[in-house]
Amino acid sequence: MALALCDIPEDLQLRILSFLSPPEICSFACTSKRFASLCREDRKIWRVMCDQKWGKNTQIQKWGNGRIAYKLLYRTLNRLEDLIGFWRLCGRANPADSSPPLVFFEWGSSFVLGSRVLATNDDTYRVRKTPFLVLGISSEGRTENFLDLDGNHVPVDLSELERANLVPVDVNFMGSGHIMVEENPCLSKGSSSSSGEDEEGREDVVVTEMYTQLANRTSPGGDRRRKRKKEKERQARIKWEPEHFIKVSDFSPTFAKPLQGLWKGFCEGRRNMELYLVKYDEVGGVVCKKVEDLSLSRQTSPVFWTPNHVFMRSPFSVEEEMILDSRIHITPLHGEVHEQVVSGMLYMNSSYDPGEGRVWLYENGTFGFGFLRDQFITDLKRVALEDGCLADALDA
Amino acid sequence: MSKKIILISSDGQSFEVDEAVARECGTIKNAIEDKCTDNGIPLANVTSATLAKVIEYCKKHVEAAAKASAGDKDIYGSNEDIELKTWDDDFVKVDQPLLFDIILAANYLDVPGLLDLTCQTVADMMRGKTPDEIRTIFHIKKDYTPEEEAAVREENAWAFM
Repeated sequence: MALALCDIPEDLQLRILSFLSPPEICSFACTSKRFASLCREDRKIWRVMCDQKWGKNTQIQKWGNGRIAYKLLYRTLNRLEDLIGFWRLCGRANPADSSPPLVFFEWGSSFVLGSRVLATNDDTYRVRKTPFLVLGISSEGRTENFLDLDGNHVPVDLSELERANLVPVDVNFMGSGHIMVEENPCLSKGSSSSSGEDEEGREDVVVTEMYTQLANRTSPGGDRRRKRKKEKERQARIKWEPEHFIKVSDFSPTFAKPLQGLWKGFCEGRRNMELYLVKYDEVGGVVCKKVEDLSLSRQTSPVFWTPNHVFMRSPFSVEEEMILDSRIHITPLHGEVHEQVVSGMLYMNSSYDPGEGRVWLYENGTFGFGFLRDQFITDLKRVALEDGCLADALDA
Repeated sequence: MSKKIILISSDGQSFEVDEAVARECGTIKNAIEDKCTDNGIPLANVTSATLAKVIEYCKKHVEAAAKASAGDKDIYGSNEDIELKTWDDDFVKVDQPLLFDIILAANYLDVPGLLDLTCQTVADMMRGKTPDEIRTIFHIKKDYTPEEEAAVREENAWAFM
């Protein structure tokens, strides 16, 4: 007997459908009454679709305490998926310790977790990850996002966060690769409902006005005083100014762009590890900047740049070999030091005077850079992911 | 020499395979670990034609995995095996009944890679097609009047926005 689609068990039919997008499923649903009814069932079709796309990354049935419709979950996860990866702060509105220059978003069990990525400052190449922003959904289907300003609270379950002292925020998706994170003061704990506050405020202002009027008959600007007072109260409640983050779209090197991405290393004279971002522009140039400089509103100088990204390959001239061999590699106190074989070299510049220097590409895909004005090489390692998690990470 | 496992199809044919290949099937892997393989493993739900295809898939993927771990990984960490993907694409170019047979077998024998590959193939056949075209390809009986169909379409369009 020849098998057809209608003959196979329903769970396998659903599995096939899970590879389709919602509009395609709509067409399929129109083929027969039976399939229309299959596609109507939230628990069947939408659950299978969530499982297909994100089952390996997160625990589907735990989101919203298992009480939200799977169709809503699909839409939520579809949007949150864009967050996964590295994002950098653009501009800075808050003090440095509460707004991290680099955030890494990854899937949690029933939420998406954004962590600060910082140098460990323990004289190794390790990076430190502390929780910064948690995005989830409540049992009622409301999005719930929280900022952990201290980075102390490692979330296991979204429900426990409601009891901790965290800042509720809105995460607004402003277009491809751009989010704005803004405190939501109405949801802040410790602030009474807005209508209650208004009444209190109004009463106070009326009393003040009365005395002011009595004291000074020509006292103007009652309105302005009221507005200023409200604004001050609002500012006092707000713990965190809105911040913008931009996605780091190319955080890994490729064969064609071996310098591209996020790197970490030690600079001459600096004890602490630095994080760097290297980008290729459209006209064949390469720019390297410190990650912490990217968020500063004023223009900062790159660490180095070059207009031509094509590497010169060995063998190199005697002068170049001498430049390389005489250098001291800056290494952390702890950690392995490997002798690297140089496979390529570039001329580069910095804004110092004299600014000329070199980039040396190593055989293992990492690279080092140094300037002619001194005798050092900074060897960089990748800020890399292993199986979707940050490699060399010390979890807080 | 690796151990051989005997698999017996529903129509009584015996297939001798390397243990590593047999282990690609989750249910067989469990049987091996439970040590019930001495007289061969009978697979009542899988015909010889289908079993031959499943074994072919498992063999190829075991070989590919061995090659990948032995060879040089790209320093940028990419493991893209274009050759294997092309092989997979050709592997699923079979008629519908056999394709569905393989889906059922992959499900019964617990071969996740093969199940995903075959389900994806069926999904690809539906992509971009109108309901009429889907009905023709998959021999689905139309039990709607045009009015009913329009009503269902409208209902679903809203549900999937």
